[in-house]
Amino acid sequence: MGSSIQKAIELILSADPELLNILATTARVCLTSSILALVIGVPLGILFGAERFPGRRVLLVLNRTLIGMPPVVCGLLFYMLFSGVGPFRHLHLLFTVKLMILAQVVLITPIIIGIMETFVADTAPALRETARGLGFGRIKEYRLLINECLYSIFSAYLLSFARAIAEVGAVAMVGGAIAWKTNVMTTAIMMYTNRGSFTLGIALGLILLTLSLLVNVVLSLMQGRLSR
Amino acid sequence: MKTTAFTKTYNRRVVLYLPELELPKGKITAVIGPNGSGKSTFAKILAGIERSDEKKPILSGVKVGYLPQKSFPFRMSTEKNILQNGNDPARARELMHALGIEALAGQSAKKLSGGETARMALCRILMSRYDLLILDEPTTAMDMESTLAAEKLIRNICREQDCALVLITHSISQAKRISDRVLVLQRGELIEQGDVQKVLLTPRSEETRRFLDFYGL
Repeated sequence: MGSSIQKAIELILSADPELLNILATTARVCLTSSILALVIGVPLGILFGAERFPGRRVLLVLNRTLIGMPPVVCGLLFYMLFSGVGPFRHLHLLFTVKLMILAQVVLITPIIIGIMETFVADTAPALRETARGLGFGRIKEYRLLINECLYSIFSAYLLSFARAIAEVGAVAMVGGAIAWKTNVMTTAIMMYTNRGSFTLGIALGLILLTLSLLVNVVLSLMQGRLSR
Repeated sequence: MKTTAFTKTYNRRVVLYLPELELPKGKITAVIGPNGSGKSTFAKILAGIERSDEKKPILSGVKVGYLPQKSFPFRMSTEKNILQNGNDPARARELMHALGIEALAGQSAKKLSGGETARMALCRILMSRYDLLILDEPTTAMDMESTLAAEKLIRNICREQDCALVLITHSISQAKRISDRVLVLQRGELIEQGDVQKVLLTPRSEETRRFLDFYGL
């Protein structure tokens, strides 16, 4: 065990080309999907939290269901839609990074919507009463609301990024874990462990744990700063 | 200015019914009454934050300012909070000085105590000019010294700007100190109105007398 960890650290320090390729694919998939999810999720979360409209409750229940959706189910759904017998087969997206990103957007957008909706539903009524009392218009009211949400937006992003980087089921199914093409950290750990090659798996595991630690450190540091 | 008569119902129960009311310019009208008498609901309907059963504003064509009981501090400094309601730093400083919070200008409004937040909120609403200004228990969280300073400021602004000011308060002594007129509410109905000294010293209604007796007046 000790020698495996030592070898893994040596592998990281040696900038192994395969390791670097896996890291680059992971970064591309996770950064793109989390940014897309943020762009879609933040306005929807704020809308669900701040406004009351017919069908809102149904949409919230649907969103909570999607938060709990197992990644393999999401992967299966995309596999069926984009495989040789699926309705979108002509797009030839199966086993590509693009489809991996799309699957992750579907998985993590509901998390961002959920975090934003909870915060905004709690904050908006008091803020709105004060803003309307001061005679502010809707645009100024929303500008102030978004200013209140900065920490929530930031933590929602980091949590969704953490979920994306740790996710394995959906990306394995739609990406196929093809070496040098669609292999990301989690799928590579599975692949190399199955082959009995632990060194690369441990190296990737160490990087994943370090990233998770970093995300939490950044969150803690920003909490104090943004909540002021 | 005159409000129209209105009714407010919650869960099929009438919680507030008020006739047409006169709110004179340059005068402070205090609204007093026990908890649950409908004072804050009246303030919200008057401000247009809530709607009456008639689904139309009870006042029209006037610029209304409303300070809720728990005013929200925006996530920025105390001074920036105040400047949100009018970009006049000199005026903001003057108001902060009057309420003794000029030293807190650069501090995050989220870090203010209850009394300091109340003073910041009062400065913020007083940055703009309104035809009608509604203050819902603006001094509840303040100590006596700040309360007296706030009352002086409120009185001066009402006179200087010639606005109609409605002060919701649970403090009869406060109503006596700064208001010109008083409305007494009980169980959602107006039981007496008129000159503050007259109503508080020689109430006509038996219910007002019982209410004032309870407060030892």
